[in-house]
Amino acid sequence: MKTLDACKILDAHRDDAIVVCTMGAMNALDKLPLNPLTMACVPLMGGAASIGLGLALARPERKVFVFDGDASLLMELGGLVSISHARPKNLYHFVFNNSIQFAGLGNLETPGARSADLVAMAKACGFEAAQRIDALDDLESRLKGILAGPGPSFVEVVVEYDAPALGTENPAVEMTDERFTRMGDEIRRIRHHLGCDAAVAA
Amino acid sequence: MSALAKENPMKQFSKHSVSAQAMVDAFKRCGIDYVTTVPDMVQIALHQLLDSGESGLKVVHCTTEDQAIEVAGGLYAGGKNVAVIVQNQGLYAGINSLRALGLDSKVPLLFVIGQFGREFSNLGGNPRDSKRRVVFLLEPLLETLGVPYWRLEGPDDMGNVEAAWKASRERSGPAALIVGHFVGW
Repeated sequence: MKTLDACKILDAHRDDAIVVCTMGAMNALDKLPLNPLTMACVPLMGGAASIGLGLALARPERKVFVFDGDASLLMELGGLVSISHARPKNLYHFVFNNSIQFAGLGNLETPGARSADLVAMAKACGFEAAQRIDALDDLESRLKGILAGPGPSFVEVVVEYDAPALGTENPAVEMTDERFTRMGDEIRRIRHHLGCDAAVAA
Repeated sequence: MSALAKENPMKQFSKHSVSAQAMVDAFKRCGIDYVTTVPDMVQIALHQLLDSGESGLKVVHCTTEDQAIEVAGGLYAGGKNVAVIVQNQGLYAGINSLRALGLDSKVPLLFVIGQFGREFSNLGGNPRDSKRRVVFLLEPLLETLGVPYWRLEGPDDMGNVEAAWKASRERSGPAALIVGHFVGW
């Protein structure tokens, strides 16, 4: 399953959901039409799920999707406990698992890639539901039921990865300034879209 | 030394404490409606009041300080006013999240940081003269990060809660309130 194809399906089912994305899913969503309720967690590897938790608690009237990565989840694994403790019924945590760090760039194996059971971890932490999906048609057919159920819900989406772009022929890649400012800009865009600033001004 | 102080030496330091209720009242004057936290030892009285459900503030318990900062960022994105309560060690642990959300993303964040490990002989003095690294590094570190801070060294400093909160809003970034001694019950 390609990350972009999975993101297209999830994006088609989001309705008015807020999406917090990071890592490969962020790059995929950047190729889809802009949604003002999407924000990237970057560069802050590991932070997407907790930002999503805050949004879910602040806005219980709408769903919040987190598009995480396997290595970024592992970076703040205790966040699964923080989420289950807070019990946000509107939080849906999708983890795009390609078992690789710097996918498409350097392709370094994620620790635990061959042994860690992310779904079992989410269940053990107390998520309302947790499942693994490794085929695009399964994602399409099961998604409606997943979103009809209560959160916090965890979905491990098993995805492929591209060949590494970095190497002797392409030894470096520069980070743009925008990569360090977009998270704040997108937070403010979400606040504006939700009318938060008007509420403060009032 | 009073008889009470002889019976319990902690009592003699009460002038360096502020009450948990006074802190909650100050938070409410700021308009704070949420607290994210990994508990801090010197603020246990405040945590107990917050956890009692009687404060009127909602609390999000996190397992690490970086999460506490990130949850605060998400709450802010959703329109809530948040204080992040941690101890000095926790601030040290959460610096990358502070950098990303507070500094690069310009999210207003009020940090309430307890001076865990401060020796009683330093109370009333300058925390920078503490013999403990965990204490004396805090203010220079905040200065390095460009985070303004206010000390809460006793009841006379209660106005610093609002000062730090106001600074975080005006500069659209982090500001810190440093709690110098055990919060009182």
